[in-house]
Amino acid sequence: MAIAVLRFPGTNNEEDAIRALSLIEGADPYLVPSRKGLAGLEKADGIFIPGGFSYGDYLRAGAVASVETITEGVRDLAEDGLPVMGVCNGFQILAEMGLLPGALLPNESAHFICKWVYLKVSDRATLFTEGLEGAVIRLPIAHAEGNYYCSDEELEAINDENRIPFRYCNESGEINDIVNPNGSVHNVAGVLSQKGNVLGLMPHPERASRQILGSSDGLLIIENFVRATKC
Amino acid sequence: MELIHEGKAKRVFADPDSNNRVIIEFSDSVTAGDGAKKDAFPDKGSIACDISELLFSYLEGKGIDTHYIKRLKGPQLLCKKVTIFPVEVVCRNIAAGSFSKRYGVEKGIKFEKPLVEFFVKDDSLHDPLITMGALTRIGLVSRDVLQFLTRVTLSVNYYLSELLKQQGLTLIDFKLEFGMTEDNTIVLADEISPDTMRIWDNKSTSLDKDVFREGKGDLISVYKKLLDTLRASKPEDVEIVKEVVQVIVEPKSGIKNPPGEVTKKALMRLGFAEVDDVRVGKVFNIILKKPITTEILNHLNIMNVKLLSNPISEKHKVRLE
Repeated sequence: MAIAVLRFPGTNNEEDAIRALSLIEGADPYLVPSRKGLAGLEKADGIFIPGGFSYGDYLRAGAVASVETITEGVRDLAEDGLPVMGVCNGFQILAEMGLLPGALLPNESAHFICKWVYLKVSDRATLFTEGLEGAVIRLPIAHAEGNYYCSDEELEAINDENRIPFRYCNESGEINDIVNPNGSVHNVAGVLSQKGNVLGLMPHPERASRQILGSSDGLLIIENFVRATKC
Repeated sequence: MELIHEGKAKRVFADPDSNNRVIIEFSDSVTAGDGAKKDAFPDKGSIACDISELLFSYLEGKGIDTHYIKRLKGPQLLCKKVTIFPVEVVCRNIAAGSFSKRYGVEKGIKFEKPLVEFFVKDDSLHDPLITMGALTRIGLVSRDVLQFLTRVTLSVNYYLSELLKQQGLTLIDFKLEFGMTEDNTIVLADEISPDTMRIWDNKSTSLDKDVFREGKGDLISVYKKLLDTLRASKPEDVEIVKEVVQVIVEPKSGIKNPPGEVTKKALMRLGFAEVDDVRVGKVFNIILKKPITTEILNHLNIMNVKLLSNPISEKHKVRLE
């Protein structure tokens, strides 16, 4: 399946993403520089927006990339049901586009945080968490603006709609303030679009795709994403 | 034609062809001193109409929204129908008229910067001077609108002053009125003529209604001279100036602001114990190619929603002052 891996000026995780995607049978990831515009998405069965610092994080992380021509193409394809996955800055771009609810604010500590975290996977089924329901997984984070925020009403709604597949937790799966790395409401680490085909995730599954990297938990999420592109 | 409104020097008729247009007819009468002095001069309406036509077209050409559509036969302008704001906006470059009288300031003193004043448009109160604060408290005009009117008035001042300067004339002061069109656009309305402004030549001789107010010459020949001078001017030579508006984006209340918190801690370390909280936002200086209009104001709001601010966590405002 053809997976477009987008690269905006300042994106720097595209190689990691392509390597991780290449590990999955049937996945055919290819790099799409954002300047290619809509043409870059023509043959895509799925879209992966990797992390980095698109446009230097000027204005707000993801804001400038969110109004590019290619991003409009992503919106149309996502609305048609194409699987889209945004990691870190990719999540920030999807949130700025309004494809995902909420906003990613500066970390509560005001520091850039780079460390391994545990995530509790929702026990309700989603496209991206098949086989992981209720599990505790380990992925790295690396961000300065990963503090997920949305209004109380929105949080209640997305929680009810099973759109919070990943939350920060401790090793045994307990969700509390101590293990919340960045101040996110409700310890949210990832959210889904209304249709469930768009995932935004602050932690990096592509950096946890082989044991030698410290964990291969992330590969399971990427596998689910690739499987979804075949549907 | 149905008469909609009759003022001291103009009559407004409904346009038989369109509900959102009016026909403004300039009369020959001239009044001064709150109506105490009154007279009529043949042809005055026609000249005032010519000058208004010329200046409205000129200002439109520089990007300022006006009610002017086109000239009709006789002393009539076809204009957009507007609801006039109940405030007269006066802009002064040099002390004269009621300003000199009110503050006991010698006529002819040049201001460092142009001054914008508001007067309530109400004959029964004799059109008193009013502050922006009082206007908003009474609820006559909102603060946002007043700031917009002030900005447009200053742009008008620049373009009129430059055009006159080209001909060796000085714009002393002028009065503007604004209105809201049916499609919610704020436009410059009323008239721009020597009835509503003061213009001096290089010998400080008036080319405006002061000739009548002070009884020092033939009004018609002075008005004609001004018209001829304006006709000889070169509007295309007046440079368009860029204008700056500010967009302020700040975190909504209740949203944590880590940059503000670390800044506050640093201020504490420096010993500024009086600081209770710091919230860090952004200021965008947006440089416009032309004067502000209602359309540009609307665009600024769209710019905010689409890019400059994130409405989920931030609030924004456009600052015109």
